[in-house]
Amino acid sequence: MATLTWHGSSYPTQVLVLTGRSLRALLRTPALVFFSILQPLIMLTLFSQIFGSITSTANFPPGMSYINYLLPAILVNTAMQSSLASGIGLVQDMSNGVLARFRSLPIRPSTVLLARNLSDAVRTAFQLVLMIAFGILVFGFRPDGGMLGTLAALGLALVVGWALSWVFIAIAAWVRKAELMQTVGFLAMFPLMFASSAFVPVNGLPGWLQAIAKVNPLTYAVDAARSLALAHPVTGVLGALVTSGAIAAIGAFFAVRGFRRPLSV
Amino acid sequence: MSELMIEAHEVSKKFGDVNALDGVSVTAKKGSVLGLLGHNGAGKTTLVNLLTTMLPPSSGTARVAGFDVVKQSHEVRSRIGLTGQFAAVDEQLSGHDNLVLIARLLGASRRQAHSRADDLLEQFDLVDAAKRNAKIYSGGMRRRLDLAASLVGNPEVLFLDEPTTGLDPASRLAMWEIVEKLVADGTTVLLTTQYLDEADRLADSITVLSHGKVVASGTSAELKAQVGQRTVTVTLDSVSEVDIALKAIGSVGLNPVAEGLTLTTPVSASRDLATVVRALDDNGLEAHEIGLKEPTLDDVYLTLAAN
Repeated sequence: MATLTWHGSSYPTQVLVLTGRSLRALLRTPALVFFSILQPLIMLTLFSQIFGSITSTANFPPGMSYINYLLPAILVNTAMQSSLASGIGLVQDMSNGVLARFRSLPIRPSTVLLARNLSDAVRTAFQLVLMIAFGILVFGFRPDGGMLGTLAALGLALVVGWALSWVFIAIAAWVRKAELMQTVGFLAMFPLMFASSAFVPVNGLPGWLQAIAKVNPLTYAVDAARSLALAHPVTGVLGALVTSGAIAAIGAFFAVRGFRRPLSV
Repeated sequence: MSELMIEAHEVSKKFGDVNALDGVSVTAKKGSVLGLLGHNGAGKTTLVNLLTTMLPPSSGTARVAGFDVVKQSHEVRSRIGLTGQFAAVDEQLSGHDNLVLIARLLGASRRQAHSRADDLLEQFDLVDAAKRNAKIYSGGMRRRLDLAASLVGNPEVLFLDEPTTGLDPASRLAMWEIVEKLVADGTTVLLTTQYLDEADRLADSITVLSHGKVVASGTSAELKAQVGQRTVTVTLDSVSEVDIALKAIGSVGLNPVAEGLTLTTPVSASRDLATVVRALDDNGLEAHEIGLKEPTLDDVYLTLAAN
């Protein structure tokens, strides 16, 4: 047994193994899987039923069904909420104790963050696919963009969520308090969600809210996803991707810096 | 075999204005156990964090397994194992998966990782619980899994930060036996503890830390001679008996002092307990209670921190 000399795996192996670990941990907590799927489905059900009558208002694009309008927005929303969960997941990892062990191993700290980010992207992708399936089967989601357009919208939502997940991972690496993040995160997300084009056309909002919605980045992400799914003239997709890339880069930079600090002193 | 596996030279660590460590030097030879003794806040964990590359020292240098902890931290980390005060296991994974995870991160192939995990589970008596989530493990099982995890890579130097704090006596004893076996196989161990008996049993040399400074170091025997004395305490039934006992014990070469119905005398060897009993017996006294008290960490502190 003295001949065993393992002096650290390669960077890709570290990321792969750690990503697998997060996904495995998730699968071993079936309740968590269940509720993380149930929550967006409930949202989809409630919103599609409650706001359905909006289609008869003057500002709504004529001839469009509400589910077609809503689903691309819910994809972006769900991805955004998952990104918050990603940050909270990192905080929980930090209190799990296993992170302390990772720090004493010959591995790069950034692999832990990258793995968190990747495993959450996989989880989000799974959520979004389920939502689309649910939308098609139950609510009659039939977007003009067809399967291709829908998948493009899903991809865009994933990129947005992935970028935001870096922001929340960065916040988690510095703040390190799950409850605080949860509270502040929801507080920030609610206005972002509603003061946007996600559920109703911006033109139908009161003036002051319109002003907010027009500077709300979520509006642009939702509009871009919608244009892909509904085969509208594609607007802002490139902008959304570039912005996401920039946000991800900045988030990752601060995440790694924050994460390098000792766990406790 | 006098290769130094741990060498800390004048290391200091400041947190703001607080000197958590202040010019500490320690060494440990290959295959030996270095005990770090001290109360909470003495700087034990900070020293462990420095030596395991988790924290950079503010000043001073340290080498572990021959590598500098700052400049060659990767080399150090691939040769050490760490078991902290809190079990660093992934509660969401099974015991088996925890060990496989560590092995894979260390660079083992999938097959090697599984076989190493199985070996360790066997060795640490965790086979029955291997597939269960670590979350539901008992305190003792969790510590064993934690220790197993720190041994996956066959570390040359093992750091045990208060490995038995909070464990029941049986688990504590089991932990001691595991450590003794590892050391017999050539592992160098740094052990921090608040318990003198633990350091006494396991450590080849002991360093006592107080407020970030080394206040004493040496073998257990050297330290005890330097630090505290054993005492025999006798409790009697009346003040008149205490007076007789004082004279009787005083006459056999010991220096007893009385406080109420209790009489205390410093002794140097265990057989002095017999001497005390005989002195009492010769005078027809029957002790209500009698006991030999080992020097405690408090004695160490009272004696050493005062100097």
